[in-house]
Amino acid sequence: MTPRLTYLTGAAALLLAVTAAAPVAHAAPSAPPAPAAPCNADSLVKETLPNGTTWQMCWRIHQLHGLVLEKVFVSSTRYPQPVQVLGAIAVAQLNVPYDNGATEYNDITDYGFGGEDLQTLGGDDCKGGSARVGSDNAPEPKRRAALCVSAEPSGLAYRLENPEENKPPLAKQGHDLVLKAISKVGWYEYITEYRFGDNGRITARLGATGDLSPSDYTTSDKGWPIGKGARSYSSNHYHSAFWRVDFNIAGAGNEKIEQYDTKRAGSGAGSAIFKTTRTAVGKEGSFTKANRRWWRVVSPTSKNKDGHPRSYQLETGANDPYEAHPETTPDVTFTQQRACEQFATGNADPQCRTSKTILDYARNAETMTNPIMWVRVGFHHVPRDEDQSPMPVHWQGFDLTPRDFTEMNTLTPPERGSVNGQPSDTP
Amino acid sequence: MTAAVSAVIVVATLDASAAPTPGPSAQAAAEPAAVSNPSPGPAPVTGVGDDPLTGPEVDKARAVALSPQLVAVARDVTGAKGAEYLSWEIIEGGTGRDAAFYFYDYRADELVKQIVDVTGGKVTGSFRAKDMQLPASDREVATALDLVLADPVGADVRALYTRVTGKSWSGEDKLAVEAHTYRARPADTAARECGRHRCVQLVARVTDGPFVDLNDIIIDLSGRTVVRVK
Repeated sequence: MTPRLTYLTGAAALLLAVTAAAPVAHAAPSAPPAPAAPCNADSLVKETLPNGTTWQMCWRIHQLHGLVLEKVFVSSTRYPQPVQVLGAIAVAQLNVPYDNGATEYNDITDYGFGGEDLQTLGGDDCKGGSARVGSDNAPEPKRRAALCVSAEPSGLAYRLENPEENKPPLAKQGHDLVLKAISKVGWYEYITEYRFGDNGRITARLGATGDLSPSDYTTSDKGWPIGKGARSYSSNHYHSAFWRVDFNIAGAGNEKIEQYDTKRAGSGAGSAIFKTTRTAVGKEGSFTKANRRWWRVVSPTSKNKDGHPRSYQLETGANDPYEAHPETTPDVTFTQQRACEQFATGNADPQCRTSKTILDYARNAETMTNPIMWVRVGFHHVPRDEDQSPMPVHWQGFDLTPRDFTEMNTLTPPERGSVNGQPSDTP
Repeated sequence: MTAAVSAVIVVATLDASAAPTPGPSAQAAAEPAAVSNPSPGPAPVTGVGDDPLTGPEVDKARAVALSPQLVAVARDVTGAKGAEYLSWEIIEGGTGRDAAFYFYDYRADELVKQIVDVTGGKVTGSFRAKDMQLPASDREVATALDLVLADPVGADVRALYTRVTGKSWSGEDKLAVEAHTYRARPADTAARECGRHRCVQLVARVTDGPFVDLNDIIIDLSGRTVVRVK
C-alpha cells in the first residue's frame, strides 16, 4: 500500500492555520507532521474542534453496511501526535421483527443502507454542516451528497471552581464532530450517526424515522391504538441493531479484551465494600451485561505517559435484548478478525460458506489475536400517537469511552496541568 | 492536491438558529463550531486504499469479473447466458485495488463471488455457494413484478390498486416496487424452496402514493412461480 499513500502535509498545515484563526489559539508549533492520508481527499474527513481536538478518518458507502468509517485517528492540543483508535466501524445488521408474528426484516443484508437506498442529502438534512460527495456503491454507482459532516455543541465539558479568587470558573463548552448518512428502507428511514467528542469519546447510534409500517396492524395485546378510538393497533416491533467495531489502537491491532465485574465483599466501618475484578477474555465468545459489568479493548503495547495501557471501554445504555433469536440475545460478541465475516447475521459470502452469523464466527472459541467487537443494541418500539407523521427520530446506540488513552483529560486546561494522581504523590 | 487545499479554505459556519443562547454559555457562542466545506473535486479516476471503486474502475472490473467461463456456464434472471449482476465492494485492507463482484447464477442456484485485481484487470479468485442470497437487483425486482402481474394473483394486485386509488389499473409503472430476498419460514407450506431458490417479497407503493400490502405474495425467481403465503 505504501506506494499509493498521498501526503497531505500541505493541506493539513493550512487546515491548522485556518482553524487557528478561530478565537481559541491552539495551533501547537511543535505539532509533528500529519500522518499520510490513507484515502483520496474526497474520502478524508479531518476536522479540528474549537477545543483543539482533531479527528481524522476515511469514509465510504458500502452497499449493505451503508456508511463505513476507517482509519480513525485522534489528536489534541495537549497530545498533538495523532494516535489511531479504530480500524473500521460500520452497522452490521438491523433486524426488525413485528410482535404480531407476521413479518421480519433484515434491513442491512436484505436491502442495504447503501446503493439506491442511500438518500441524497437535502433540505435540513445537513443544516449547519458540510455535505460531502461520494460514491453510493450502487451496482452502477453514482456520486452524490452522501455524508454530512458537522460540529455540534455537546454541553459543558467540565467545570471547576477557579482556585484563584475572583476568577471565573474553569469551564469549557464541549463539541462533537458528527458524521451521518441517511438510508431509506421501505417506510422506515434510518440515520447512521457517529459522534466524535473533543474528549475522545466516540458515540455510534442509529436513528429511525420515516413512517410506521402501513400494513402491520394487530390486536390490543401486540400493538397500540394510534388512530381514533381503539380500533387500529399498530404492531409493536423491534429494532435490533448491530455494529462491527474493529479497533486498531496505535496501529497495532492486537488488542486484548477484558471484562470487569464489581461485587459486594462485606462491610467496612463506614460503608459496604465492593471489589472489582478483571477477567481476561482471550477466546471468541458472546457476553451479556450484568449490574456493574463492563468490557474494554486494551492495547498490549501502546501506553499513555503514565505507563498505563491505552484502551477504550464499551458503554451501552438503554438496550432491550430480543430473545426470540440466539443472535439478538447477547449484548456483545468478540471474534477473531476475518475479512469475510462482515455481518452479524445473514452474512452471505461464498468464500466462507459456514460463516453466516456471529454465533458461527465464535463457535470454535478461537484464541483472539486481533479481535472484532460486535455490539448489539435493541429497541422495542411500542408505537404512540405522536409517531405519525413523520415519526420523530428514535435513537439507539452506544459509547466508546477512552480509558487511559491519555494520562489526563485531553481538554485539561493549563491551570490543571500538574494534577496527576494522588495529591501527596505530586512533586 | 489542489482540490484538498482549496477544500479547507471554505469554512461553513453553524446556522444562527443553532447557536447557543447568550448568558453563561456566551463563551461558547464566541467559539463557533465550524467544519470545512470542501467543494468536491472532480470524480477521481482511481481510488486510494479502501476508497470505493470509481465509475471507470467499476466498468472495467465488472467486465473482467463476468469472465467468458462464467458466461458460458451461468444463466441470468431472464434465462439468458451470463450471470445476474448484483453488486460490488472494495475488499477492505486489501493489498491493492481488490474488489469483489457478486452475481447470481440461476442455472446452479448459486451466489458467485469473483475477486478482481482491478489494477491488473484479472480475476484472482472465484467462489460459489448455494443457499446464500444478497439483495435483489433492479432487474430482478422488475422481473418479480412482471411475474406477479402475469399470474392469477395479478388480478388481486390490480383490484387492490383500484381500491386504494379509486382509479383503474393502467400499467405496471403505477406501482413503485422494492423487494427483499425471502427465505422459507418453518410454517410455510408454499414457497418452501425459498432460500435454496432465489425468492423475493415485495414492498410496493402506488407511484407517488401510499404503500399497498403485498406481503403475502412470494415470487420464486428461480422457479419463476408466484405463491401466496400465510
